[in-house]
Amino acid sequence: MSKPIFELVDELPEQNMTVRALKALDFLVPGEWNNLVGFKETIRTVTGETDPELVKQIGDRAIWLFNDKSEGYQRALWLYQTIDSADSALGAAALANKVGEKVPLLGFMSKLTPKADQAQTIDLCLKLVVEVVAFCQINGIPGDSIGDFVKSLADYSGESLMRMAALVCFDALIPLGPDFIQGTQAKLNSLSPQDLENNAVFSQVKQLIPGQSTPKQLAFIGESFDSVKGWMGGFVNRNDLSVAKVTGKLGQFIEVSDSKLDYLAAFLDVTTNYYEHTGTQTLARRLIERAAAEI
Amino acid sequence: MMPRTWFTSFCLAVLLFLTSCTAAPPSEFDQAQQDSTQSGAAAVADTAVSGGSLNEYFPQPAEDYDLVYAQEKTGFAQAKLKQAGTEVAVLSIADIRNNPDAAQKYADSAETLAGYPLAAQGNTGTGVLVADRFQVKVQSRAESFTEGDRQDWLEQFNLDGLAALDSP
Repeated sequence: MSKPIFELVDELPEQNMTVRALKALDFLVPGEWNNLVGFKETIRTVTGETDPELVKQIGDRAIWLFNDKSEGYQRALWLYQTIDSADSALGAAALANKVGEKVPLLGFMSKLTPKADQAQTIDLCLKLVVEVVAFCQINGIPGDSIGDFVKSLADYSGESLMRMAALVCFDALIPLGPDFIQGTQAKLNSLSPQDLENNAVFSQVKQLIPGQSTPKQLAFIGESFDSVKGWMGGFVNRNDLSVAKVTGKLGQFIEVSDSKLDYLAAFLDVTTNYYEHTGTQTLARRLIERAAAEI
Repeated sequence: MMPRTWFTSFCLAVLLFLTSCTAAPPSEFDQAQQDSTQSGAAAVADTAVSGGSLNEYFPQPAEDYDLVYAQEKTGFAQAKLKQAGTEVAVLSIADIRNNPDAAQKYADSAETLAGYPLAAQGNTGTGVLVADRFQVKVQSRAESFTEGDRQDWLEQFNLDGLAALDSP
């Protein structure tokens, strides 16, 4: 049993590297994400209710819903946490004294190992699949409904939209370059079930990916990417998104060198947990929306 | 001897203080956490209808309104009501077998809508209880969406059809 959901939401940081990195992407999804933290504050903001007794009732019901394993909320949270925890070796400790000042990337390079393109491709695709599966768990639709997911992507807002924006920027554009869609597609086509088996992140989330065997799971991963690439490409085009635009914003608090983009990607990888952070916020929101309707 | 005793007491006091600081402070949600993690505790009833069976009783929005289905869980369905792309309200049907306490506010209310008990809740919610079984609710998400709007949208649900879904 993990921590109570109200504690997880209460303990979401108001300011850390994850929050700074996401705020740097505000220009892509203006005003969508304001880092809502705190369980009661989330209830008040989501429902517009301020009466303490009503807030308590909604909170109690949300806690009951979360703790009922049959309802899928815990699986969704586990996915969001697990996909992020795989690579947070250099975490808060190394950066504890860096809040408010520019982080010199050079100083961390000896501690960073850029990922090979294949590992980065798998990372990107697994994060995407986690989003599909967590979406289905939270919203109560069958776990392999990629179609339903893609339809609802157009309706994504708030922290969910920010999560997708960060996925495109931090896990696709920066590490894989502007042609990440074609590159990922090509890599996926040449990926064998064995390659997937050898990937540490995959082995952690494998049990919740649809498909009864690794080849079938690989097919599901390919299908997921194929269905979402249109949305990703549209997002890039709509925003006239380039690597320079994103590094320009990150450059406000990280000393970035354009020749070291793989290190920047690795740095973001190990110092942020944006999937877990915004995933917890999405989950809290859905729980509260349901609780407020059921009480 | 005396100073050493003091020193020991002082150290113990500091230790006690420090350890008490590390534990999370009690929360008003501790009780719900404890109750809902007892063995056998469940947030939903085995006999609740499936969420998918509730969708057909939602209103059919016209003109510039859109209904975007959000959650479909055991005994529960929820959709967002959007007007020109902006979310103005949340509509839901909940099988109160999941949460029987929800019926109390309707028992306490003298108002009705289309023959079903009606109750307002908080500043943003209004609901009806259909066949003592299904709580149909509209919650405002935009300030412009008033209590009157909520009642209008409640009337657009197929409440009588929903009543017929009630089974033992």
